[in-house]
Amino acid sequence: MMSTLLEYINMVRRSPIILAISIVLLILPIIFQYLNLPFPANMLFLALMYAIAAMAWNLLTGYTGQLSIGHAIFFGIGAYTTMILMLYYKITPWIGIVISGFMAMIVGLALGVPLFRLRSHWFTLATIASAEIFRLVFMVWPYVGGSAGLQAPIVAPEEKLYYIQYAGPFIYCYIALAILAIELIVLHRIVNSKIGYYLQAIREDENAAAVLGVNVFKYKMIAMAYSAFFTGLAGALYTIRFRFVDPFAVFDLITISVYIVVAGIIGGIYSFIGPLIGAFIFLPITEYVRVEIVARFPRYYGLHVCVVGIILLIISMLLPEGIYGFLEKKGIIKHKFFEEESRVVGGPENE
Amino acid sequence: MVSPADLVNAIVSGILVGSVYSLIAMGLALIWGVMNIINFAHGDFMMLGAFIAYWMFRLFGLDPLLCIPLSFGTIFLLGVLVQKGIIDRILEAPLISQIAATFALVLIIRYGAEAWFGPFTRRIVTGYSGEVINLGSIILPLTRLLAFVVSIIVALALYLFLTRTYVGTALRATSQDREAAQLHGINVSAMYKLAFGLGVGIAAIGGVLLSTFYPIYPEMGAYFCLLAFIIVVFGGFGSVFGAYVSGLIIGVTQCVSALFIMPTLKDVVAFLLFILIILFKPTGLFGKGG
Repeated sequence: MMSTLLEYINMVRRSPIILAISIVLLILPIIFQYLNLPFPANMLFLALMYAIAAMAWNLLTGYTGQLSIGHAIFFGIGAYTTMILMLYYKITPWIGIVISGFMAMIVGLALGVPLFRLRSHWFTLATIASAEIFRLVFMVWPYVGGSAGLQAPIVAPEEKLYYIQYAGPFIYCYIALAILAIELIVLHRIVNSKIGYYLQAIREDENAAAVLGVNVFKYKMIAMAYSAFFTGLAGALYTIRFRFVDPFAVFDLITISVYIVVAGIIGGIYSFIGPLIGAFIFLPITEYVRVEIVARFPRYYGLHVCVVGIILLIISMLLPEGIYGFLEKKGIIKHKFFEEESRVVGGPENE
Repeated sequence: MVSPADLVNAIVSGILVGSVYSLIAMGLALIWGVMNIINFAHGDFMMLGAFIAYWMFRLFGLDPLLCIPLSFGTIFLLGVLVQKGIIDRILEAPLISQIAATFALVLIIRYGAEAWFGPFTRRIVTGYSGEVINLGSIILPLTRLLAFVVSIIVALALYLFLTRTYVGTALRATSQDREAAQLHGINVSAMYKLAFGLGVGIAAIGGVLLSTFYPIYPEMGAYFCLLAFIIVVFGGFGSVFGAYVSGLIIGVTQCVSALFIMPTLKDVVAFLLFILIILFKPTGLFGKGG
């Protein structure tokens, strides 16, 4: 615990942007709570949830080069695990969140065995097909509620803390912030370690990496494990916040899998916190359109997703390195994530 | 217990509906084969084709089958514009930018249509919608039979175009080797526009045919696009005629398996098959190999 804290302080010291973001994020929920602004607070929660998933996704896609459009699998598994533990076994979500992460990790590793035989777009297509299989199976599986989904029980006031059931998004923002902070530290440690260099070597040229002695399959599996774990945590957050899961929401191709990709691409997949920035850029926009236009005029349902598409199209054509990646490249934003810690990668596999 | 008559009926209706799947998949295979671009928005161009038929029918009472040239032409032009404005600029980009751009098209077309037309389900009911032709114990709905006939005609026309005309041959040459085609004086950029326009235009014809017996809604493209991917991979990547045959096979498999298992699981089987094929036989049934 102490060492993690020290590492975070160290990270903050080296990177002013992380410091600024940390402070703003810590204070924002309090401001929203006191000014009674549930809508921006909810927006903040969603942005944090997608940021957690997109950061995790980026380890597999940005760093390792394996484009997944099936991260709804891990999100959904995480959401369902917390719900089932809470509903059927009365296990508190405080523990359920962690178990969700490990369940997602197990599923990720099991999927990785066949899927990592595939390369480039074949891998991507297989992740989409896998996510569809999960959605369809959960739709007909009675144990998980079928297509009706599962609803969390309404609990007595004294059990609020045990089941994390509070009104409004305030408390959930802080849980999400805590998870995001842990994720940032863990991922930061990974990408700056030897593993991070191996992953990037695999992204740049898989065959060359293999020839140099990198166990390609093993490191892809490591990336998958962490990626699935944290995406599972994002799914668990969804459950404790919304208290209802159904296969259409948590296994959705567009609003989960593609939205995670959108966050990554808008922010920039070749930078460490790009996906986090991306989630904070596109989510408020789409949520604003959804609440201000679509919720008032249901006739225009779909407009908020269309807006996401337009942003994605513009970014992917004009700024392929993403907004944050672009600013970083131009030298407008400087941070020392990698330079200071870069060590010479030793010989193959001599950890 | 499934009676033989049910089985024969399932096979026949599988072929009829599969022929429409085949058309959509052929367009996808054409684009994939010629340009090596995965068009995730394929199903949504198909949806636009179906909506053109719907609005022509609603506003002017035009029969959907007569609307085929209009639908094809409009979506062909739209495809050429999309190719010129968007796809052409990302051809050399990394895979993730290509996939991001085509997914952006999905979001814009599918949800733009949803916002514009409203998230409602519509149907085209013509004078002959309910007609059936009885051949002994085999029941043939007239709309599906017509769709089958049109599908065969379109597939034959595409076959003749690709094999018997200069432009078609140039298109195939571009698909085989882009640089060599360019050296032989083929305008590769024009070929790409043609391939993309033709590909989505054929999908739009599939959409019009579907609209005669299938409900029309803005998100209909999602399912048919995934189905088209399964068919193209099954038929062999980039093989246009492989796609036609495997579309029929998938249609029959779907209808026959629906006799034995529940519909949702039938799609699970299709997706599992898809993953197994790309894992163990990525060249598909009729692939050229490699």
